[in-house]
Amino acid sequence: MFREEEGVAPINFMWHLVWDFKWDLFKGLLTAVNVSIAALILSMVIGMIFALARMSRFKVFSIFATVYVNIFRGIPALVSVIWVYFGWSLLFGHNFTVYQAGVIALTLLYSSFFCEIFRSALQAIHKGQREAGMALGLTRGRIFRSIMLPQATKIAIPNIGSMYIGMIKDTSTFAIIGMVEVVRVTQNLNSTYFQPFVLYTAAAGLYVVIAFLVDFIFRNVELNFSYPPQGRIAKFLSRKKKKRVEGLMKST
Amino acid sequence: MELSGVRKTFGTIEVLHGIDLQITKGSHAVIFGPSGSGKSTVLRCMNLLEEPDVGSIKFLGNEYGPGSGRKEDGKRGKSIDLRRKVGMVFQQFNLFPHLSAIDNLALPYRSIRGGSVQEAQERAAHELNKVGLLKFAANYPSQLSGGQQQRVAIARALSLDPELMLFDEPTSALDPELVGEVLAVMRELAESGMTMVVVTHEMNFAREIGNLNVFMEAGNIVATGGSDFFENCTNQRAQEFIGSVL
Repeated sequence: MFREEEGVAPINFMWHLVWDFKWDLFKGLLTAVNVSIAALILSMVIGMIFALARMSRFKVFSIFATVYVNIFRGIPALVSVIWVYFGWSLLFGHNFTVYQAGVIALTLLYSSFFCEIFRSALQAIHKGQREAGMALGLTRGRIFRSIMLPQATKIAIPNIGSMYIGMIKDTSTFAIIGMVEVVRVTQNLNSTYFQPFVLYTAAAGLYVVIAFLVDFIFRNVELNFSYPPQGRIAKFLSRKKKKRVEGLMKST
Repeated sequence: MELSGVRKTFGTIEVLHGIDLQITKGSHAVIFGPSGSGKSTVLRCMNLLEEPDVGSIKFLGNEYGPGSGRKEDGKRGKSIDLRRKVGMVFQQFNLFPHLSAIDNLALPYRSIRGGSVQEAQERAAHELNKVGLLKFAANYPSQLSGGQQQRVAIARALSLDPELMLFDEPTSALDPELVGEVLAVMRELAESGMTMVVVTHEMNFAREIGNLNVFMEAGNIVATGGSDFFENCTNQRAQEFIGSVL
């Protein structure tokens, strides 16, 4: 392959590797999606709890949530997962599986981001909404569940999408604890074939494809959450309701 | 409803300096006065959206608010119980944008009264019909005009069978040509014998329905009077104000 007289290695891109190992790369991608979706669900739930804690009248809760957010927003995913996987085991003698460590590491970080997303979404709702609920005599729980939460969710959806793309990308750091995700698959192939440009370009391509897919999904979710709902799913779900209202309009 | 010695402070500024006001069943009270005089705050104290610092709100035999702060005040009612008997209409309508018109009524109704969705929606449809908006039942607030939104808001408050209705500048956020339809609904409500307290700048409407007129300025009730208030008011400041807006 080398031609000594020119002193430069000729470039030989083995693009066929991407096709040959498509299923390995795809499995790596599935692992990344799997870990990040589990972490997404957990961090949304925990983030919402922290958002409420941060806005709480009780100082203890709000200080705790503020400190949590400011610590974990600042930690890189690589550090987080090393700490969870190795640190936890050293300190407490309990070993997480690679999958568990990944989910926990992401959840620790992203629940702090979701706390801020949900807090700003809740605060973006006009205060008249809460007042209208109070004036009608609704309980605090009912106002939160039926008035604040649905509206906050709608406001938060685009940000949740961006965060999720960030989470998918952060799973790439889990190669270091041996999770066989996209980057780990790429590293393994590269150590055999020494084609870093080809293999890492393929890996980048996979992340971009996922980013487009996530964008498409979240734009649809947003459409279904708009008022009035415009997406197909929301229309399908509300068809019975619509019929009943039409019936009432005739009978009243 | 009876307010006695209601004081309210925002920060370091006292905006209500001890309000005493009695509203008997079936009366239509109109509160007016210059901006910043505390009209809206008085109204918001009536359903405890603003908790007074001192003072009592008596309503249907129960006492709400902090009272005088002394022990002999006895048992105080819960604000949620007061709010369930008092309806309120806001300047900004405050409909729930994520719910259709009918669900804006049905959701609170079902949450408070229980029962099935069908029952709640039947009641909601009935109330929407009364304000002439049944055919917009499935519309969302964003698909309604300001006047229609405010009529839905009135229907929403009425669907919970309030004993007293509070109106906080209900027409101030509306285009002039939409004011009429809202006032028509309110007029009808007044004629049906509903007890109402209205904060408004619509002086002609106030003159028409008001049988208890209250003029406020700088956190005090300056003058009160019956339906002849606009003609036979003796208070000079109130006369000046009426003269300047009519």
